[in-house]
Amino acid sequence: MKAKAMRFLKLLGNRLLGILRAIAGFIMKLWRHPKGRVGLIVVTLLVVCAIFAPLIAPYDPYDVTQRAAKGLSPSWSHLLGTTITTGQDIFSMLIYGTRVSLIVGLVTGISIAFLGAIMGVIAGYVGGAADTAIMRTVDVMLVIPTLPLTIVLTNLFGKSYLMIIFIFVLFGWTGLARVIRSLVLVLKNANYVRAAELAGASRGHIMFRHILPGVSHLLIMNTALTCAGVMIAEAGLSFLGLGDPTAISWGKMLAEAQGGGALLFGHWWWIIAPGIGIFLAVFSFMRIGLVMEEILNPRMKQSSSIYKIFKNLNNTYMEEVFASMDENAKLGLTLKAGEES
Amino acid sequence: MKKSYLIKRIIYAFFIFLIVMTLNFFIPRIGVVDPAERYYPPQGNMTEIEYEIIKQFTREQYGFDVSNFQQYLNYVSGLFQGDLGTSFRSGNPKVSQLIGERLPWTLVLSVTNLLISLFIGLIIGTIAAWKRGRWQDTTLLNLSTISMALPAFFIALILSFYFGFELEWFPAYTNPNMVAQFDWSWEAIRVVMYNAALPIVSMSIGGIIGYGQGTRNAVIAVTNEDFILTARAKGLSRNQVIFKHTLRNAMLPIVTSLGMSISGLIGGAVIIEQIFNWNGMGTLFLEANNTNDYPLMMGIMLFMSAFAIVANLVTELFYSLLDPRVTVGERR
Repeated sequence: MKAKAMRFLKLLGNRLLGILRAIAGFIMKLWRHPKGRVGLIVVTLLVVCAIFAPLIAPYDPYDVTQRAAKGLSPSWSHLLGTTITTGQDIFSMLIYGTRVSLIVGLVTGISIAFLGAIMGVIAGYVGGAADTAIMRTVDVMLVIPTLPLTIVLTNLFGKSYLMIIFIFVLFGWTGLARVIRSLVLVLKNANYVRAAELAGASRGHIMFRHILPGVSHLLIMNTALTCAGVMIAEAGLSFLGLGDPTAISWGKMLAEAQGGGALLFGHWWWIIAPGIGIFLAVFSFMRIGLVMEEILNPRMKQSSSIYKIFKNLNNTYMEEVFASMDENAKLGLTLKAGEES
Repeated sequence: MKKSYLIKRIIYAFFIFLIVMTLNFFIPRIGVVDPAERYYPPQGNMTEIEYEIIKQFTREQYGFDVSNFQQYLNYVSGLFQGDLGTSFRSGNPKVSQLIGERLPWTLVLSVTNLLISLFIGLIIGTIAAWKRGRWQDTTLLNLSTISMALPAFFIALILSFYFGFELEWFPAYTNPNMVAQFDWSWEAIRVVMYNAALPIVSMSIGGIIGYGQGTRNAVIAVTNEDFILTARAKGLSRNQVIFKHTLRNAMLPIVTSLGMSISGLIGGAVIIEQIFNWNGMGTLFLEANNTNDYPLMMGIMLFMSAFAIVANLVTELFYSLLDPRVTVGERR
């Protein structure tokens, strides 16, 4: 019993080490790439801002009692001025806003990677009824307008970032699952998978030990791009006031700026600051995703597939249906060719 | 195109519509026994008896006084007679009537945006592919990474700030009289164009660059094909190769992304409409949300989904006309 537990722990340790090593390898590769390095530095900066926000921010951004300091222009004491309505320090709000963006982006990105991978691998490898069920679900999800549905669900269940993450994951996995599925259909016929089948390996074993590693590069890349897309979408939802009303986020800052007269009184810094925040976060994650693609797939620079994945998650949510339609068409062709040969 | 393929796609689209419709019926009923409660939540200054009376009234008014299954049947039969439901607004207007009032105004924005994006994007993309690797191409590439990271509503805010408030060239908020006074005169059309300028520009910046980059990628992908090599080997000029052989084949992925844009025509401008106070479907939906007008919200959602389904179907069929290979895989 004890020996078994030890063996299990050792195995687990080895796996964890392997994952850590893979991540470290990725980071090193990114660092060596000049464009990737920029992305990496900015992401690190944002993560530091998010974790140490109370130490970095010079003022308490939730402090709405500074009546004497309303609507100040940028100065050394208030780097980006203060808000007109409540006198909150904009620079401190900007720092705290990193938290919402990063948490929503990362949690959604990672969850989508998990769900999309599982669904895609099952649909592709198991096939049959499971494939049909998953792909039909995807088709239905694709035509439901996400933004209105998000509004309805927040109206029903209350506004929170958990809700937003839930909806993003619910609708976000579809595009990834399609891409993974088409890749799995190719991998399924690879010799090493055939060999594993002949050796009597179980379906689960083949799916998660042999096929999943084959699509992992796509997952890592997709996670970075999903994060970027989700951050933009989150900013939009927060702008409409659908996020947690008590949290400070960049989208909500923009809405406050618009509602609080930043446009009217010419306080452009109040609008530019959160915009730059959104831009930096999205841009750096996108850069990392694109550089990863270049590293992993050097033949396809600027391939349209990645462009599509990102575009899918961008503001117009409903667009996904046709993103992979030509992919499916090609797939139909390859399958048919495969059957005949 | 095969007839069986056509019929199969139409039946499938209808099947998806049925599922979406069913979801649409059940979503506002999640977790409540009495829909009247959700449709008319208790107000603070109301006694229990008053609330009971109001709930009873709501039930009768909106047909909640029968069983869930009967409600669903009524809902479905209403839908197929073109009845999307009745709004809670004063006067109880039909949802379809409200949508009919607002839809043209959204289409003014989104269709113009689509045409501008497509037209300029095609030109820019072709130029970039033509001058592959030179400054035109790299500029487009850099612009596309930048524009993908900038939300359209942020661009809209900046434009509204600079051109609306600082320079005062265009209205930062839509003139509320625009809709009421519209009478198809040239003056009215000019007013609409004047008011729509900023929303359209802020939407189309991303669209132009997106279509430009898409066209560029599609053209370059075709350029690598063998038949282009043949055409060049035949001694055709660069222009002939690009316009006669490359662009025609590069249309396929562009049609795909066009289809995507069309299905987003109605619901794609919610935030932009809100910023410029534009009287379209997006603001209608947000108004419905603020007043808990569930029939209106679900009606708009169903309408948007149905529009997306039809747009997808049409694009798919159009696509299979353009590219006969698509139907091949579907044969079995």
